[in-house]
Amino acid sequence: MRMQGIVGLTFLAFVVQSTIVPWIIPGEFAGRIVPHFTLAVVLFAAMYHSRHSALLLGAGFGLLQDVVFRGHLLGLHAYAMALIGYLFGLLLERRRSTMMMALVVVAFGTLLYELALYFVYKVFQFTQESLSWALVDHILPSLFLQLAFALAVYIPLRRWFQNLAMNRYSKKEPE
Amino acid sequence: MISFILFIAVIGVSISNRSGLTAPEKFLRDTTGFVQQWFYKPAGYMAGFFQDIGNLRAMHEENEQLRMTVAAYTRDKVKFNAMEQTNQSLQELLHFTEAQKKINDYKFLFAQVIAVSPDPYNQTLTINLGSKNGIKEKMAVITDEGMVGIISKVSEVTSTIMPLLELNDQAPGISATALGKQKQSFGIVSSYNKETQMLQMTKIAADDPMTKGDTILTSGLNNVYPEGLVIGTVESIQDSDFGLTKTASIKLAADFDHLNEVLVVQKPEAIQ
Repeated sequence: MRMQGIVGLTFLAFVVQSTIVPWIIPGEFAGRIVPHFTLAVVLFAAMYHSRHSALLLGAGFGLLQDVVFRGHLLGLHAYAMALIGYLFGLLLERRRSTMMMALVVVAFGTLLYELALYFVYKVFQFTQESLSWALVDHILPSLFLQLAFALAVYIPLRRWFQNLAMNRYSKKEPE
Repeated sequence: MISFILFIAVIGVSISNRSGLTAPEKFLRDTTGFVQQWFYKPAGYMAGFFQDIGNLRAMHEENEQLRMTVAAYTRDKVKFNAMEQTNQSLQELLHFTEAQKKINDYKFLFAQVIAVSPDPYNQTLTINLGSKNGIKEKMAVITDEGMVGIISKVSEVTSTIMPLLELNDQAPGISATALGKQKQSFGIVSSYNKETQMLQMTKIAADDPMTKGDTILTSGLNNVYPEGLVIGTVESIQDSDFGLTKTASIKLAADFDHLNEVLVVQKPEAIQ
């Protein structure tokens, strides 16, 4: 039941980032500001829930992205999101992360994700652009949107995930 | 480590240009598309509504322009009817076969965009028509301004458009020609340069009459894409590395952001 809630929420983030956000972004920035809301939710899950749920969410919704917008490669988003979610979960799962910490994690996670995408596409020669150009063109502008989103959902998401995690631990203790 | 090997294997499989989709893939795409269309359209209407309020003043001018265009259109229509009749009678005289007569009988399918991919290197669009509606891979997709892209993947009730922005050297290009010089001009639109935001047209012969400002159309020569779809205008022409051919930079005609409705061009069945 609780896991279903998280999956539903992530799906909502996925749908919003592929349908509503392109309309909000002004024309000059179309294709330059790219939302990665599902990644933000995955990172929150890693910080405040558990690294395993982050791994599953990342793999699942990365694969959904891969299949629905089937382009050059299959499995890239799934692998990148799952790996980044798991790594940050491994580092920060047991700590009490503050808001600044959460924002920094989301920023680093997104940067890592974009770089991973860029380098994989570059290796397979689906893109010819230089790294510095890619950074200025879309990676950094997207980062601002990502931070704004993380800030907006920080309080409700943190509360929710911590409640879930708390319930889980309190259930385990009596055994 | 095992997962890394798995990742490489999956990418390897997907890169080998497997055409078509498996049943679970189709199911996932269609169900997601079903949900996505509830969001994309209303968002588009809202955005359009606010834009319209802003544009109220420009509307009057646009109306005037449209009236002029309609007048020109009715004039051309008379000419067109006469020409079509002569064309038909000439075709009768030359004993054209049925297939030859229908070669330019394109059908246009009206489709709604339902989602845009949030991946900067793979900006595909999803539309709400699929194999059920007669969509097939490699059909051309246009808007009223010009060509937008090509259908790249098809499932039952949704399909994916690969926009011209994603053209690269790995995929086969689109054969193209210049408006008014269809007989002498030829080149291949092969890739899109994101840094200059121009399409590259290569393999243009050194004695080609194409000049700056020409409108570039699909030539229909390779029998994959229809003939006469507007791609863009020539911005500059350079000699290529060895000097044997020329390369042109083309500014795209169609506007790619905030796409709402597109037309899929369906070629007549007989010649496919």
